[in-house]
Amino acid sequence: MRRDPNLRIESFPLDTVERWLQAVIVHPGDIGQALASEGAEGEIPSSRLAELVKPSHSLSPEERVEIYHEMYLLRMEEALASDYPALKHFLGEEAFLALVKDYVQRYPSRSYTLNRLGDHLPQFLSEETGRPHAAFLRDLAALELAVTQSFDEEESPLLSLDQVQAIPPEVWGTSRLRASASLRLLELKHPVLEHLDAYKRDLPSPHPRRKASYVVVWRRDYTVFRMELTRAEFTLLQSLAEGTPLGEGVAHATKALKSSEGQKRIFKWFRTWIGEGMFSGVGVSGK
Amino acid sequence: MSANRWGFEDLGLGVGLRTTHFAHILRERPQIGFFEILTENFLDTGGRPLFILDQVAERYPIVMHGVSLSIGSTDPLNRDYLKKVKALAERTRARWVSDHVCWTGVVGRNTHDLLPLPYTEQTLRHVVRRIKIAQDVLERPLVLENPSTYLEFVPSQMTEWEFIARMAEEADCGLLFDVNNVYVSAFNHGFDPKVYVDAIPGERVCHHHLAGHTHKGTHILDTHSDHVVDPVWELFGHTVRHVGLRSTLLEWDADIPPFEVVHAEVLNAKVWRDREVTRAA
Repeated sequence: MRRDPNLRIESFPLDTVERWLQAVIVHPGDIGQALASEGAEGEIPSSRLAELVKPSHSLSPEERVEIYHEMYLLRMEEALASDYPALKHFLGEEAFLALVKDYVQRYPSRSYTLNRLGDHLPQFLSEETGRPHAAFLRDLAALELAVTQSFDEEESPLLSLDQVQAIPPEVWGTSRLRASASLRLLELKHPVLEHLDAYKRDLPSPHPRRKASYVVVWRRDYTVFRMELTRAEFTLLQSLAEGTPLGEGVAHATKALKSSEGQKRIFKWFRTWIGEGMFSGVGVSGK
Repeated sequence: MSANRWGFEDLGLGVGLRTTHFAHILRERPQIGFFEILTENFLDTGGRPLFILDQVAERYPIVMHGVSLSIGSTDPLNRDYLKKVKALAERTRARWVSDHVCWTGVVGRNTHDLLPLPYTEQTLRHVVRRIKIAQDVLERPLVLENPSTYLEFVPSQMTEWEFIARMAEEADCGLLFDVNNVYVSAFNHGFDPKVYVDAIPGERVCHHHLAGHTHKGTHILDTHSDHVVDPVWELFGHTVRHVGLRSTLLEWDADIPPFEVVHAEVLNAKVWRDREVTRAA
């Protein structure tokens, strides 16, 4: 006897069907485990699959759902590999896919763009203390996230050396530099720039080693750059980027350098940072 | 040859604007009718892609194609997203804005897949209501594409082509007719693709898509990773005969070859378009 189609519809409201299919698709296990998972069974029991999904000429209902289930993880992997190529280069295909599988369970995409999928990966790795090389992986992920964020930032105007030299001496000390929107400063426990460089040059990743590392990432003319800094450079650049007045920042840095050549070195840093386009403007006190 | 309901111009032949082709396009300025952008790739970025897009939009007509509207989702429509889409359309002077007849996620998640809908009266009412809201926010007709699907729902009360035809009429929206998707779904579900084409209201079709796919033996995946196969070209000819000439785009999104290869592939569509124009005359 043919069943009343309206009764079948009421059995499977649209919102239930959608929650069920999503629960199956995003489940980290195989298709059998996904269909039998608590999230899926809570919406539509796996025993009713044949009432919901038609078989095709060559595939069972389960195999048809499996197509979507398989594609989900591959799509997530592709998106994260695009943002974290050096991390993938270090881990290799299999370990990176395993990382992606774990990550998207805790931090699934909630955005209309896949560009934001990887935003929590450094955070995830800092929570994963039991994972081999977890602290190193976190630093490498933090560097790659900074590169991605810098790439996507709004374009900033460039502060020129002429503009800085035009600041009247009487207000120089109280003036504040404005950092480019793309500027990112990273204080790391591992020298992960060498891993990013290894990836870029298609060389094997070096073995992780522990050493304090200070990195600046910024964009100029729509190209993202990165540079290793000394701790003193990092401290001053961070302080200026946070809006510390020039006089105060330079005084602290000079004192920390404990060298007669201190101011000379600091002004050399200034020329480099401004010439490289790390600043977008200057706020002259009283103007 | 009939026109579409909104009088959207036939822009000729176009391809998707892809990062790997940016330098070539700006340097060589290829003769091409239009570029289609993936909407979400240009939202929330102030970087190089948007800088390039502004330059391309100065020289070529742009159409926008999204993947995250999720018109069939039972989650609320994302109005912030729609406002950003609208702003980008204004910035690029996009000729039209399209997305897919699908859903991409619920309970706040996005699977970033174009997931299938059961074609029921309930779904139709739901989708039509949401299209009208989206059109109000966008202040322009929404153009929706028939999806490739890999499963069918038992509770469906109508065919996909019946659903899409009724949806377009009841919501007063446009259609992006993807010929390859019809071919893919026809194989996967075992229907005659020409029956699908013949049921589509031609005056609502604003745009045609073509693409390559991957045949897995038991099913076909819509991978946009290869040349268009002959049966899809033939179905395209049948579509032009039924619908008329519309802006025609080749999608190539995986294993993307050099621009010249993608461009040459879409130029093949000229043969089929010209043949149907001659036949109509």
